[in-house]
Order: sequence, then C-alpha cells, then structure tokens
Amino acid sequence: MRRSLLLLGLLALPATPLAAQRDTTRLPTGVRLGLTYQTLQRPKLAVRPATGDGPAADIVQILQRDLDYSDRFVMADLIPEALRSGPVNYKAWNDLGVVWLVVPELQPDGRLKISLHDVVYGAVKQSQVFDLPAAGSPDFRLAVHAAADAVVKWATGQPGIAATRVAFVRRNADGGYSLLSVDSDGEDVRTLATVGTMLMSPAWSPDGRRLAYTRFTGSRWELVERDMTTGSSQVLLTRDQILTPAYSPDGRRIAFATWNGHNNEIDDYDVVQRCCLRRITHSARDDLSPSYSPDGRRIVFNSNRVGQPHIYVASADGGDADLLSPYTYGEPGYYTSPDWSPTGTQIAFHGRSRGEFQIMLADASTPGATVRQITASGRNEDPSWAPDGRHIVFSGVRDGGAGLYVVDTVTGRVRPLLVGGRYRVPDWSPILLSSSGLTAGPVSR
Amino acid sequence: MDRRLVLPVLLAALALGACGKKQPPAPPAPQVDTAGQGALREDSLRAAREAEARRRAEEEARARAAEEAAARARATIQAPIYFDYDEATLTDDARSALDQKVAILRANPDLRLRVAGNADERGSVEYNLALGMRRAEAAKQYIVGFGIDEGRIGTISYGEERPADPGHDEEAWAKNRRDEFEITAGGERITPPTTGGR
Repeated sequence: MRRSLLLLGLLALPATPLAAQRDTTRLPTGVRLGLTYQTLQRPKLAVRPATGDGPAADIVQILQRDLDYSDRFVMADLIPEALRSGPVNYKAWNDLGVVWLVVPELQPDGRLKISLHDVVYGAVKQSQVFDLPAAGSPDFRLAVHAAADAVVKWATGQPGIAATRVAFVRRNADGGYSLLSVDSDGEDVRTLATVGTMLMSPAWSPDGRRLAYTRFTGSRWELVERDMTTGSSQVLLTRDQILTPAYSPDGRRIAFATWNGHNNEIDDYDVVQRCCLRRITHSARDDLSPSYSPDGRRIVFNSNRVGQPHIYVASADGGDADLLSPYTYGEPGYYTSPDWSPTGTQIAFHGRSRGEFQIMLADASTPGATVRQITASGRNEDPSWAPDGRHIVFSGVRDGGAGLYVVDTVTGRVRPLLVGGRYRVPDWSPILLSSSGLTAGPVSR
Repeated sequence: MDRRLVLPVLLAALALGACGKKQPPAPPAPQVDTAGQGALREDSLRAAREAEARRRAEEEARARAAEEAAARARATIQAPIYFDYDEATLTDDARSALDQKVAILRANPDLRLRVAGNADERGSVEYNLALGMRRAEAAKQYIVGFGIDEGRIGTISYGEERPADPGHDEEAWAKNRRDEFEITAGGERITPPTTGGR
C-alpha cells in the first residue's frame, strides 16, 4: 500500500508536461506557424477551348485543373466568346491580364497539339504534338496530364506533377483493407489489392514501376512488392512485424522497420539481388518510417529513444543520429512519419501542436532550427512529397471531410484530393509516363 | 469387427439392461401381499429415491462450481490489461492481472495464448502498430519471467485498428490502450489454479 502511494506520488510528477500536452493555445517550443507566405507574383494563365470533336472538352477540363493545381499560375476562368477561336489576339488577351495562353488543338489524326503563347511578347513560346491513347483507355488521362506538365515546364522551367498518382490505404466497412491509387487530380481511383486483415505503408519505387507495401497474414507481416506493369505481386520477406518500407533513390534497396523480438529497428534489403539484409539502426526503443535523402547517403526516421517519438537523421548505413524535431527537456513532443523531399533538404513530418497533429517542415541541413508548421486546421498526418519537392499529400480530418489533401508549401493553398473516407498513409508517385507505371522519366529540374 | 470387442460390448449391453430394469418400481411379488408390508416397501423406496436425488444435486453443484471456476479462470486469462498514453510499461494493475494469468498458465500446461497489443487513435497509424507490438511483448516478457515457456505466448499488434471503444475521448482512449489475450490452444478444459488465483 505504501509503495503504491509512493508510486502515485511519482506519477504525479510529470503532471506539468501532461498539462502542456493538452494545451491548445500555444505552439510547442521550436515550432513556428508558417502559414503566412511570401507574396508571389503568379502569372495569369488561360486555356482556350480546344478545337476538334470527341474528347476535346475533357482535355480542356483536365488541362485547366492540372495547371491550376500546379499552383504556379492564377487561372483565367471566364474567356470572352470572341477569344474562344480563330487567330490569337494578343492585345485582347493582354488587356485581360493574361500572360500565358494555352491553345489545345485536337488534330484529325487524334493527336493533341498544345501551343503555349507568350502574350506579353506576342509569340508562341513552345508547342508540341502529343500522342493520345483512345479516350477512356487507362493511359488517356495520364497523356493529358503529361501535356499539362509540359506546359508548366515551358512556362516556368520547373517540373509539373500532373502525371503522377497517389497510392494509399483505405479501411473498408467490412473491416478489411484496400490498397488504392488515384490520379493527382483526384480522378480515376483504382483498387490494387484488398485483404481481410491489415495492409499498410505503400511506397513507390523511384521509377514508378514497382510499389512496395506490407500485409498482415493474421499472425505475421509480409513485405510485398507489386509490379505495376504486370499487376503481379511477390512476397519479399515475412517477419513478425514489418512496417514503413521506403526505396533508396537508386531503387536497389528497401529500408523498412521490423520487429526484432524486443523492439522495432530499421533494416535494409537488396531488392534487386534479393539478398543482403542489413540492420541500420540500433536502439533500445522503436525506430521506424525511414526515408532516404535524394543522394541516398542519409536517412531520416522516427524513433522514441528519448521516450517520445522524434525525428532523426543518420547515415544510410547507420551510425549516430541527429535529432531534427524540436526537443525541450520536460516538454512533451510527438513527431512521426517523416518524408525526405525528393529535391532537397526539406523534411516533412507530422507533430502535435495545440492538441492536434499538424504537418511540419524541417531543414535536414540545420538540425535544431525552428521547424515550420504548414497546416493549422483539423488533424493532419502522414505527409508525402510530390516529385516537385513543393507539394505534399497528407491524410486529414478537416472541415471539408476526412480524406486526402494536398498542400502547396509555397503558397500554403490546401486542396482536397479525395475525401469521404479514412484514407491513410498516402505515398506520392514519381512522374509516370504511363498510368500503369510502364515508363517513368526522371524529374528534370 | 474384431471378435475381442464383441464380448465386452455384449456385457455392457446386458449391464445397461439390468440397470434399466432396476429403476422402475419392481413388479408386484407373486405372493399374497399385506398392507403393512406394502407401506414399508413404499417408504423404503421413497428414501432411496430421496437419497439419490440428494446425491445428484450435490454432484450437479460440484460440477457447476467446477464449471464456474473454469469460466472464472478463462475470464481471468482473457481479461485485457491497460496502458498509459504512449507507454508500453506495465502498470501495477497490469502486473497483478498478469500474476493471475501466470497461476492459470502453470495449472494448465497445454494452455497457449496470443497477446494482441492495441493503441488509442491518437498518433500515427504505423507508430501505433509498433507501439502495440511493444505492449504485447511487455506482457509476454513478464509472463515468461515466471518460467512459463515462451513458445506458449505469441504476440501480435493491431495498433489503433481495433478499438474496444469507438469513442473519441479520454474514457474511450483509456479502454483502447490495451493488451488482449486470446486462447490459441488448450482452452477446452481450464483447470483453475489451486493456489494463488483469486
């Protein structure tokens, strides 16, 4: 009895941090709200209605939405009747404030010609003819997305992200789980796999041809790799628990968290030679959610080695880890699910702030610096970078409903990708040149 | 059919037949009966029937008590244990609940368990799966520490996927941060512990 009283006394000690944990008014130390963004001059862009029959209207709608979702332009939505066809009247477009004009033409041979007009200079900046698969075929939308990405590239010199898909997991009404994917504009949802038990953590290979995920058999977990070209799947490994796989940037290795009998550690596995399992992290607590730096030399991961989950950066071969998330002794912290930007040193993760989980950004090159919180409403988890290193998809429970959302880290704009369900653990693909993931190109920068 | 089996079967059938004949009141004797003899006989038969009924009642009570004790032992084995937020450390309550499970496991060497670790909905899905595994392992290690063969205790984690209470408040979360204990073998007949169990 006396001992339990003593224990009660000890339990009462961390009351202050617990109270702070529920504090919904102040930000955690080391976190700043990054919701006010630099005002950017975004040029106005218009997409002229397409000439030609058949899918012309669909094409314009897809192009318009893709260019809007690139967050690099202000979209001109109302186009005067007089400007809808005929030779381009640069003066009239200029009077409307339009800087870029996209003119799509569906040619008699079924191909799509896209011209980008520089209204200010009164000239065609660039044009290209794109092969179009039959409307309704799986690759049709992706081909139009690729055309939209070409426009972004011509106008800004930066890559677009329209020709991508997001893989995610849905908990089904019957208690089972499905692995799904959706176009970057929220259309064309496809079911890739369904299981009666649990399924988690999809991860695209860097070439977009493979998708790894983990699956519970009822007693153990399997690391599964799906060939996106053929649709066939292979079990790579079976363990008591396997979580959070991530490909190395060269696509040769998969790092993942696995149960070693006492705690979760991060291993990596040569997925090409099907060999050479290595242990990367060594701690007494759980290490999980690895994500590689673009050069493949470092990994960021999540560990609760100081008691609560934090974000660490280490060499991809293991060794000492640097703490990246804000840590103040005696103050509670909860930071998980890191994802390293494919284009630089920014790392996205989610952390508790004002009583809810929010998406945050830290710079891997300056551990200990203040991190930036980029969402502030609702509950937001599991960020994954788009291949442009600018947009992030996350799982959110917000006013717009539960589902997947996309935030632009430059403008702060948030758009729903797919709402209406507990869609979780999204992973954004690389640029795909075919919806089956058949061919994928490197992101040109 | 093996002939050696025929004789015992026949004997058993005869014995059953004989028993069956004893149970209904014996047929009237061929001799001339008197009233006194008849009453005496009735009393004697009633006494025998009452004694038999008492014996059966006692037997049933014993069986019921044994059944109840087995059910209590089953409930004790299956009772969940609970954890603090983001913790896989066993609380005092969890330890004493595990002590009772250890006593039952000792009394039932064929009994095997699977411990399923669970977490509340707060935190990330994947982190909670890892946390659930550590919670299951904490219970297993405690039990194994008493000399129970570790092959008898399996562990899995459901993370935040299977809440016991679907609510979104502290009351629900407290019920969801738990280990559940599923009997995977030897659960048909559970012998209650002779000592130690409460």
